[in-house]
Amino acid sequence: MNLLLVGLSHRTAPVELRERVDFSARGVTEALRALAGRGSTREAVILSTCNRAEIYAASDETAATRADLERFIGEFNGVGAADVAPHIYDLGDLEAARHLFRVAAGLDSLVVGEPQILGQVKDAHAAAAEAQTVGPVLNRVFHSSFGVGKRVRTETGLGAGAVSVSYAAVALARKIFGDLAGMSVAVIGAGEMGKLTALHMKKQGVQHVTIVSRTMAHAARTAEAIGGASAAPWDEMDAAIGASDIVITATGASSPILTKARIETLMRPRRNRSLFIIDIALPRDVEAAAGEIEQVFLYNIDDLQATVRENLARRASEMTRAESIVADELDKFAAWLRSRGAIPTVVALRQRFEAIRRAELDRLDFKLSALPPEARGRVDEITRLIVEKLLLTPTEQLKSAGDADTVGAYSEALTRLFGLGGEDADGKREKTERKVEPFTRDRSRSPR
Amino acid sequence: MNLVPLVLYAAALIAYAWHFGRRSPVVGRTATTLLVAAALAHTFVIGMVTMEIGHLPVAGATSAISTFVWLLALAYLYIEMTTDERAMGVFILPLLVALQAIPALRPGIEDRAAVLQGPLFGLHVSSLLFAYASFALACVIGITYVLLFTEIKAKHLGFFYTRLPSLQVLDRMNQRAIVIGWVFLTLGIIVGVVWAAQAQAGYGAGDPRVQAMSLQDPKIFVALVCWAVYSFELFAARRIGWGGRRAAYLSALGFGIVLLNLVPISYFLTRSHNF
Repeated sequence: MNLLLVGLSHRTAPVELRERVDFSARGVTEALRALAGRGSTREAVILSTCNRAEIYAASDETAATRADLERFIGEFNGVGAADVAPHIYDLGDLEAARHLFRVAAGLDSLVVGEPQILGQVKDAHAAAAEAQTVGPVLNRVFHSSFGVGKRVRTETGLGAGAVSVSYAAVALARKIFGDLAGMSVAVIGAGEMGKLTALHMKKQGVQHVTIVSRTMAHAARTAEAIGGASAAPWDEMDAAIGASDIVITATGASSPILTKARIETLMRPRRNRSLFIIDIALPRDVEAAAGEIEQVFLYNIDDLQATVRENLARRASEMTRAESIVADELDKFAAWLRSRGAIPTVVALRQRFEAIRRAELDRLDFKLSALPPEARGRVDEITRLIVEKLLLTPTEQLKSAGDADTVGAYSEALTRLFGLGGEDADGKREKTERKVEPFTRDRSRSPR
Repeated sequence: MNLVPLVLYAAALIAYAWHFGRRSPVVGRTATTLLVAAALAHTFVIGMVTMEIGHLPVAGATSAISTFVWLLALAYLYIEMTTDERAMGVFILPLLVALQAIPALRPGIEDRAAVLQGPLFGLHVSSLLFAYASFALACVIGITYVLLFTEIKAKHLGFFYTRLPSLQVLDRMNQRAIVIGWVFLTLGIIVGVVWAAQAQAGYGAGDPRVQAMSLQDPKIFVALVCWAVYSFELFAARRIGWGGRRAAYLSALGFGIVLLNLVPISYFLTRSHNF
């Protein structure tokens, strides 16, 4: 059985197409059910976010399944095949696994290292598990990907640092004041920029927002739009700043309205209380020299953008470490996948031994029939245990073989030595694979 | 016997430094585990000595340093457990390792002078050691405050920005450590004065060291300078708004004086406290 990935993402498809190819619109469960109805896949998981729509599947007929999945993506979302086809990529086995690991790690995201994607991958798997469309292959590859995501998050700085200006401002405020709850914010200027920043601060839990504007009516209107904010007239600006911990300036004034001298006067009665000034106006509202005052932290929009750039650069430098975690986990997954290559041989071997055991028991049946039923049961049990013990080491050796060539050579040798290769070997494969799970469970339960 | 804790403190230092650089949670937990192991080993060592001599080993300069290291390790562990913040460890551990090296390299069970007795003496030494441990924490917190403050002011948010708690938290922790330290310093000095007065008048009258206990003795004088520095810091923080960076600098200055008193003055200069 092979692993297969067919899908499109922000790397291959424009946003207009991604909006139309959205499995979550009609529900992923519905999509999984529709896909299962087509019968082209043995296992399937659909990962659908605003930046990607991907189907992970396990099947025996790789080429046919790939073609069917491509058709399904278009048909289910009501998009013409010709529109979808040029943007679709497909990957098989280890490459598909590597892709999923990179996605879960946030390496394939639009904003590298964004934290939501791991949760979305987990949700996708949970939905498929709910719809009963996952089996051993997808379970294994998805659980491995959760591990990759977790390791990348804890062992690298891929997700560290704010990558947008407003989050950078909030992160800075947190580094200065600790908790933002209970903080007061004064917004100077009732324009759109000031309003948005104030809204953002409010969402982060600040206690009080005061809007100061040259026109009181403007201030009042903006305060109302924010909700829970108060308005103050222009000549009460000093009092508003004096009562605040964070000041956001966003006026259209052509020269600085807050000079160093003015802020120095405002700082005197505050003693040791810090003041964080965010100047998002262009041209500047606050004299740059004001940043020299001991407890004043002055950042303008360029400074914030610079920190965002630094954070992005730092994330980029962490990518190598994240990639090596992906490679590391991919090796483990590859080993597991190889061990699955040995399964048909293992199963055939086991069936051969079991057949011999049965045949011998049947042959000796006339001698055993004289025994009481308990003793006959004992004989059956003992012969079964002997077979299991004989098979234990070869099975483990076969499953832990290092590479596909070794697995092939071992399988070949076993097939010849025990005469496993029947004329129906190919047709049997599908049937036998399903019996794999009971076999492994059986083995672990048996007494040693 | 003081060697085992020293080795464990050194191992913990390496782990804390590693954790600070790479921020791996596994290494962080290892660091804490090593420090807990070091503190436990140290507790065992001090416990054994206490059983042997019948009182806490605080009378001699060397054993007082060992006890100070032990108190500081416990105080730091308490802060780490309550704030869930490991970043400070890399600053505290070098101090623990450097100071613990003294008792580790000068082994021997302390021989308490006959005059050093009574509950007041024990209270005097243990309050002062506890005060010094608080000041050590305040100093380290102050240093980290300055590092973070400088980064934010310079608008270059990097190494410390991603690793330290907020300025407000650091400032508050510093103030708290100073207050606790100041209370115990004051208590220790007052108890010391009462004890010295009793000893000079009574059972210690024949001992030249007891007679030398006056303001002219460097150990006592420097302790009072210390008290003055920390009193000023508390006053300045409350009355003239000297928090943040200035308080951090004062904490570092104060602890510098404490260290001076704890090591060189104890060994080479004092005539009254050389037991």
